[in-house]
Amino acid sequence: MSLDAMLQVAASGLLMGLIYALVAAGLSLIFGLMDVVNFAHGELMMIAMYAVFSLWQASGLDPFILLPLVAALLFGLGMAIYRLLIARALAVRFNKGMVQIFATFGLAIFIRGLAQMIFGGEFRSITGTWLGGRTWNLAGIYLPLPQLAASLVCLLAFAGLLLIGRTEFGRALEATREDREAVALIGIDRDRIFALGWGLGAATVGVAGVMLAGFYYVSPNVGANFALIAYVTVALGGFGSLLGALGAGLLIGEVEAITAQLLEPSLKQVGMFAIYLAVLMFRPRGLFGKI
Amino acid sequence: MKRLILVATVAATALATAHARAEDIVIGAIYPLTGNAAQVGLDAKAAYEVEADIINTTHAAIPMVMGKGGGLDKLGGAKIKLIFADSQNDPQKARAEAERLITQEHAIAIIGSYTSATAATISQVTERYEVPYMSADNSSPSLNQRGLKWFFRTSPHDEMFSAAMFNFFTEIGQKTGHKVKSVALFYEDSIFGSDSSNVQRKLAADQKIDVAADVKYRANSPSLSAEAQKLKAANADVILPSSYTSDAILILKAMAEIGYKPKAIMAQAAGFQEQAFLTGAGDLAEGAMSRSSFALDATKSRPAIAPVNALYKAKNNKDLNDNTSRDVTALAVLADAINRAGSAKPEDIRKALTETNIKGSDTIMPWAGVKFDETGQNTLGTPVIQQVKGGVYHTIWPFDVAVMDPVWNVGQ
Repeated sequence: MSLDAMLQVAASGLLMGLIYALVAAGLSLIFGLMDVVNFAHGELMMIAMYAVFSLWQASGLDPFILLPLVAALLFGLGMAIYRLLIARALAVRFNKGMVQIFATFGLAIFIRGLAQMIFGGEFRSITGTWLGGRTWNLAGIYLPLPQLAASLVCLLAFAGLLLIGRTEFGRALEATREDREAVALIGIDRDRIFALGWGLGAATVGVAGVMLAGFYYVSPNVGANFALIAYVTVALGGFGSLLGALGAGLLIGEVEAITAQLLEPSLKQVGMFAIYLAVLMFRPRGLFGKI
Repeated sequence: MKRLILVATVAATALATAHARAEDIVIGAIYPLTGNAAQVGLDAKAAYEVEADIINTTHAAIPMVMGKGGGLDKLGGAKIKLIFADSQNDPQKARAEAERLITQEHAIAIIGSYTSATAATISQVTERYEVPYMSADNSSPSLNQRGLKWFFRTSPHDEMFSAAMFNFFTEIGQKTGHKVKSVALFYEDSIFGSDSSNVQRKLAADQKIDVAADVKYRANSPSLSAEAQKLKAANADVILPSSYTSDAILILKAMAEIGYKPKAIMAQAAGFQEQAFLTGAGDLAEGAMSRSSFALDATKSRPAIAPVNALYKAKNNKDLNDNTSRDVTALAVLADAINRAGSAKPEDIRKALTETNIKGSDTIMPWAGVKFDETGQNTLGTPVIQQVKGGVYHTIWPFDVAVMDPVWNVGQ
């Protein structure tokens, strides 16, 4: 393989890895905060993709302009899901874990069905955007601009999340994560923190959905394609570790790209799952996990 | 007891008023109505409903088999009743639905099912219960080579389709002087993808065409950029994809993203024939070629296309395509056999199916006709090759039925 081709593989893996990391960030946030695995995570991303698609169709505005609007929408939706569903699931007295799993899993099926009812099963694509279809040729290494933009937004989103971690709210979030019983004693409204955490997690995956819609098709099942990798990313990086999710996303992107070149492409996820299994066996808290 | 008598009386009255109306003929249809291939299933459902209406209702005659309307005349005007089941594009769910349709809904035949993986399990069930399975749009060549007695397929399969592609390569090579010297295989890891690629590999070897890349990929991946890089590195004369809609859109985008414009693409239809692909891939789809069993533009030699397409368009707001046209045809052929059998007994229907002999001009397809061999395969289904121009597929081969000259960039 020529040097050019190797650099191209590395670059493609890097871009894809950052996108995986961005999709996983919201999942990691919610899990780290309250030990709830959100099985509807991919579906929240799908909602964001349909939201930006519908808004683009109605207004003709570029997804970039619509980004804050969709993120805000998803923030509200995340909070609503917490208040209406998750808070109730957390309040049950027995079999808590199961109830949480079924609640979010049921939500995922419901959202998928709803999307097919409203939008039909057709694959839809946003076309004619600022960056759509443009590619930057860097001395023989091709960097598609929509993916490049998504990667930059990913880095910005991680920087934003880390900055939030330094604010008062962020410290409350961290405190709640560490001991959800004790924070009540020092006057932190746990319920409010959880709701905001869900809002933030949903908004993050909303950002991922908007960026993805710039170069990926939208369909009711699109979330499932990414959700599995997001779960692996979070587990690999260490539950609740944001930087872990970033590192694991990059690792998965690169390992996937390299595996596809070494083995046949239909086996490209083998490398990623092999690492995942090894980490589960020898370092179950994840590569960057603190617990 | 009283209630039973009441029910019996009501039933008797209803029967009397319907003037001994013949019983409905129940046919089960299994398609992916949810999940990743849902749209194809929903389009198929619309196509079947249109064809059932053509068979059942009274209307001006349409020049095709079972086109005169008014139900099945040899069964006292009995109507075709379709019951749809959702396979979710999962072979195991398809198997369960086939059992349910036969045992609970008393379907006397099953029709289906888009993906070959689901057809493989459905046809095992129909074999066991001894009811005909009419394969409308499954294209894996292995399906009819399993010694099944109750399997019938109106559509050509991928061996016939691929042979057409390679015949086209030969003829266009002679015509333009630019022969195909190498191909790149690109196929998903399913029965459809592997069967299709096996045939193509063999045909390439027969014609001494080099297989420059052999790329098997995982369906519905988040990214196909690694696959695109392999295709780019091989830079074959023609890329031969066997993919469903989502991956078809994705691979064209992925190739463009790394600055690769293939000289020619010749698709094993499937996703490439869907409107969502043409819209989603946009300009990137221009010039792409695909095999097809249907030619919407062959209205001169097939007068039934215009009226059937008009009915379908009124219902589903799109034109008939490769898949939906085959669905219409399969149901017409099945209904014709049931009518000729003059019976709703599966064994009689099977016998009538084996005696089927329909002229191509009595269908909406550009085929020579419909006639099943001992494996249940229609031997007269002759495919065409089409090319995208201005976002629409036009027939380019066989040259005598072509409506447009091919754009051929190989060797330039």
